[in-house]
Amino acid sequence: MAKNLSGELHVASANRLGDGLVVFLDDAGQWTTRLDRAALARDERAAEILLQRAQAEAFGVVDPFLVAVTESEDGTLEPLSLREKIRASGLTFAAIAGEAVRYA
Amino acid sequence: MPDTHFYRYDDYDRALVAERVEQFRDQVQRRLAGELTEEQFKPLRLTNGLYLQLHAYMLRIAIPYGTLSTRQLRHLAAIARKYDRGYGHFTTRQNLQLNWIKLEQAPDAIAMLAEVDMHAIQTSGNVIRNVTADHFAGAAADEIEDPRVWCEIIRQWSTLHPEFSFLPRKFKIAITGSPNDRAAVRVHDIGLRLWANEAGEVGFEVIVGGGLGRTPMIGKTLREFLPKDELLAYLEATLRVYNRYGRRDNIYKARIKILVHEIGVEKMRAEVEAEYAATKDGALKLAPETIEAIARQFAPPPLRPKRTKVPEVEALKLENRAFALWLKSNVAPHRVPGHAIVTASLKPAGAPPGDASAAQMEGVADIADAFSQGEVRVSHEQNLVFPHVAVESLPEVYRALERLGFAEANIGKITDIIACPGLDYCALANARSIPVAQRISNHFAELSRQHDIGDLKIKISGCINACGHHHVGHIGILGVDKNGVELYQLSLGGDVDFGRTALGTILGPAVEADKVVEAVDALVATYLEARQAGERFVDTYRRIGAAPFKERVYGAV
Repeated sequence: MAKNLSGELHVASANRLGDGLVVFLDDAGQWTTRLDRAALARDERAAEILLQRAQAEAFGVVDPFLVAVTESEDGTLEPLSLREKIRASGLTFAAIAGEAVRYA
Repeated sequence: MPDTHFYRYDDYDRALVAERVEQFRDQVQRRLAGELTEEQFKPLRLTNGLYLQLHAYMLRIAIPYGTLSTRQLRHLAAIARKYDRGYGHFTTRQNLQLNWIKLEQAPDAIAMLAEVDMHAIQTSGNVIRNVTADHFAGAAADEIEDPRVWCEIIRQWSTLHPEFSFLPRKFKIAITGSPNDRAAVRVHDIGLRLWANEAGEVGFEVIVGGGLGRTPMIGKTLREFLPKDELLAYLEATLRVYNRYGRRDNIYKARIKILVHEIGVEKMRAEVEAEYAATKDGALKLAPETIEAIARQFAPPPLRPKRTKVPEVEALKLENRAFALWLKSNVAPHRVPGHAIVTASLKPAGAPPGDASAAQMEGVADIADAFSQGEVRVSHEQNLVFPHVAVESLPEVYRALERLGFAEANIGKITDIIACPGLDYCALANARSIPVAQRISNHFAELSRQHDIGDLKIKISGCINACGHHHVGHIGILGVDKNGVELYQLSLGGDVDFGRTALGTILGPAVEADKVVEAVDALVATYLEARQAGERFVDTYRRIGAAPFKERVYGAV
């Protein structure tokens, strides 16, 4: 059963400046491409602090913001919105490979 | 490799583009070093066509009037391979988007573009964007004059034009030189249509204030007949009026279509004509030698008339049904007998519309070198075109396209879907477009059925900005987000054909993503039951109205 249907759980995300990839702020204040390593804010006050930390660590990323997530029983985080799910997981279809001569 | 039959950069063009590459390199270095904030840097990168999307930076490369040499296409493939993930997306504005560019490498990518006289300047921002044209230009049997000459003249005038670098909003111009409009000129900020008057003189109908997006509008005729040499002065007058009166207080009301709508076309015409009267005999009046110098660069390739009935083609037509269908849908008449225009479908069943891998781009370049005078076109319907193919070569071109997966006989059919990148890529989108297009494409993949259904244009946008042109689809599909759920609004009856241009009408409540195919199926079934001889889907819709379609769709889903 996923928690946070009330929208209280958040992680901080941004795009990495050099390559634009989606990153999340971890507990050590580093930006990581792994959602499972993201620092989790469990209430509104913690979310405010997390966003402030993200903005303070914004050198090397673009426009940090909070992403509402759910947490499953085993601790897996998943963004609430489809947009953020796609940001975190990538395309929802298979793109053609560069050397492919046909779309499979 | 054959010579190109279109404009080649001169030293001035090359110097300008090279200078911009170095400026951008310096700007990127300063951003990476923290000397520029994102707020300061964003307008600079956008001016160079570099957007930040959901997952990565996207580089939008201008393909002027949709015309490419094979050298340029191979170079685009090499850039996609070296600096991106090996594929690109051809857009509804005849551009190419690379979706995974790294900021650190973007200056090198645009430097590589400059090697083949290409750039990404003015593919973003509130400026005059890449001018689009009929993708059959210079080849079509129905053409009065090649519109690309005028696109190039406009390109030279509008590139880095100081007065028009901060317009109220972006500005899109399209030109057609044929009575059959393949450039959608009535849904552009300015549409230009070349036509011959009773005296046999060729000039422009100037259409203003068309556009899609949040407030779709069909353009109105500003000037019925404009002599060709007065084009730039008249455009400058129109842009000047827009720049002066266009709204800057509200982004949603800033396009020229809103200005024309609010003050009326008569007032707009009066303003433009007054401005024009004061400037028309100035520096922008085009000298005949200037026009001729540009026109010479678009001189058609020296094609000799050939046999129009070729036994090998006729034989293959009889033995290979897919080839016979391909001849019907993907091959168009050429102005020179014994030659044809071939459209390579970038919509094989289930594929993301408009996407091509680097290997496919190179394959297309090989075909163009062998069979199409080294020239390729990008259509606003997201396909690639070989403009000059001898009829006798059609079997070989077909087989070569089959190997690339681009021989689908579906041009103008239900699976030749226009779709924007949607929520899979785009930071503005509310819903996905490509997976919806893929499901429809797979469902209707059977070619005989597609040809039985006939011409039917489906256009899909993932948000109200309408990059997928859903307003002018025979069936338009607009993705919306309702409380975090993707829903799709259907509209019927849109069209961009000249003289029949129309905006679609919303059918009813939006349907869930997994019901879209069912809904389209219901629309098609209604049409097939009601159609009369020779009617396309949109003709039947116009005759019988929305009610039967509505009843069937909402009964079905």
